Amino acid sequence: MSAPEINNHVIALERASKFFAGNPAVEELSFIVGRGEIVALVGRTGAGKSTALHMIMGVMPPDSGTVTVEGLDPYRQFRQLRGKLSVSFQTDRLLPWRTAVENVELGLQIGGVSAVERRKRALQWLENVKIFGEENAIKYPHQLSGGMRQRVSLARALAVDPALVLLDESFSQLDHVTSSTLRADFATLVRRLGKTCVLITHRIDDALEMADRILVLAAPARLMLEVTVTPALRADAKWRERQHHDIAAAMAVGMTPEPVTSAAAS
Amino acid sequence: MTDAVHPETPQIARGVSTATLIKRDLWANAVVIVLLIAGMQAWSGFVPNYIMPAPLETAAAVGKVLTRDIGDILITLLRLFYAVGFALVAGCLIGAAMAMIRPLQPYLKSIIVINTGIPALSWMLFAIFWFKNAEMRIFFILAMILIPFYALNIYDGIRALSTDLVEMVETFRPTRLHVLRFLILPHIVPYVLMTTKSIIGYAARMTVFAELLSSTIGMGAKMGLAQNNFHMDQVIAWTVLLVILNLSLQGLVAGAERLLLRWRPEVVVR
Repeated sequence: MSAPEINNHVIALERASKFFAGNPAVEELSFIVGRGEIVALVGRTGAGKSTALHMIMGVMPPDSGTVTVEGLDPYRQFRQLRGKLSVSFQTDRLLPWRTAVENVELGLQIGGVSAVERRKRALQWLENVKIFGEENAIKYPHQLSGGMRQRVSLARALAVDPALVLLDESFSQLDHVTSSTLRADFATLVRRLGKTCVLITHRIDDALEMADRILVLAAPARLMLEVTVTPALRADAKWRERQHHDIAAAMAVGMTPEPVTSAAAS
Repeated sequence: MTDAVHPETPQIARGVSTATLIKRDLWANAVVIVLLIAGMQAWSGFVPNYIMPAPLETAAAVGKVLTRDIGDILITLLRLFYAVGFALVAGCLIGAAMAMIRPLQPYLKSIIVINTGIPALSWMLFAIFWFKNAEMRIFFILAMILIPFYALNIYDGIRALSTDLVEMVETFRPTRLHVLRFLILPHIVPYVLMTTKSIIGYAARMTVFAELLSSTIGMGAKMGLAQNNFHMDQVIAWTVLLVILNLSLQGLVAGAERLLLRWRPEVVVR
């Protein structure tokens, strides 16, 4: 998928900047994410990925420039985005006093869905993320494995049927096998549902595996490289290897003053 | 090769089950009670019964109190429950206000901290001067003594709330009421229970003390009456009942804790 048409985007950042104590965390960052697209924001630790994500989430406003999600300002029109955006984090962030199914119900409860309907939907979403059986649904977070907890967290994010799902390093704390299984399951699921997804990661493999487009950021969150991925390219081991190398090099540029933005779509 | 156990390793690490530890504690309690009864019996042989009555005499007094003065026990319990209930609600509100309304925080905290420095006896004397009604006096004394415990613990509890969880809940665009209902209230339940567990025995003792000074009915008032009439057997009987009441209340709170905090994993320190 190539960069989306400007009038069909879910996210648009236009010269968005954010400073902390005078230091830029994000500097004049511009990109758009089209409907149904899976976009990965890749960068090293401290590259400003999370700050960009927080601006998209509406937790903080940009100091200059604009950020819009579904045509709304996510910070100033915070509540109007209820049910349209959800997030899965690096750690599962499950409420310890709620069972797995009750955790999945949280967003639905806030959205005012009736008790019967939300239990039905939550159980369905647990099955969608491959947590089967009521005996697992009624377990408390401490009774589940790390992988299962992360699956519950993903189910919670998807259960509100959002237009946009944000993943903040959601697979990075899991072991390699669990992470790649979960990543593949999630990518299949969001593609089937046609959800728009922004994946924040420092792991190049995660991005190449899941994304339609990869935006490589370097500190302070400037766009260094953009890579478009198609299923055919994804299956091409040599292409992947080359992209892996290019992305790693762009990430390493990090501290150089001049960004080297280029389209690397093959 | 045999497993060497370090001499300083706590027993729990050597695989002693909780049931065994409970049995051991019950056995120790039984031994202490038998020794106390034996001591009472021995002492009562040398002194008049208004100094130390025999255990059988005391047991008869317990039976008498239970049949004749059950109303006083219920009144004391009622006073205790409504005062603890009020202190719980008021303390939680004050604690929440301290944590969530920044401009109020230093003032509320100052009031609570000054309150904790005022002795219980002062509150009792203030109550006698300020209120004519005995119920109002007891309620006021207990409320003034108990509210700070809840307020400070709830304040600390809310401050300990994980920012990760707050951020997670906020991604669903909740109202303040949603945050309170789905995050803050469930989060403070362990703090409320912990505070109740710590103060319930103290609150029961304070209720009896307040009754002694300001009322003619209730366990404290009856204890005062027994003391005035030199009925040491009844004083001990009331004391025994107070100990039982205290243990029952602790059991009640422990039961509530098991029910409400069943989501918490059991942590075993090795």
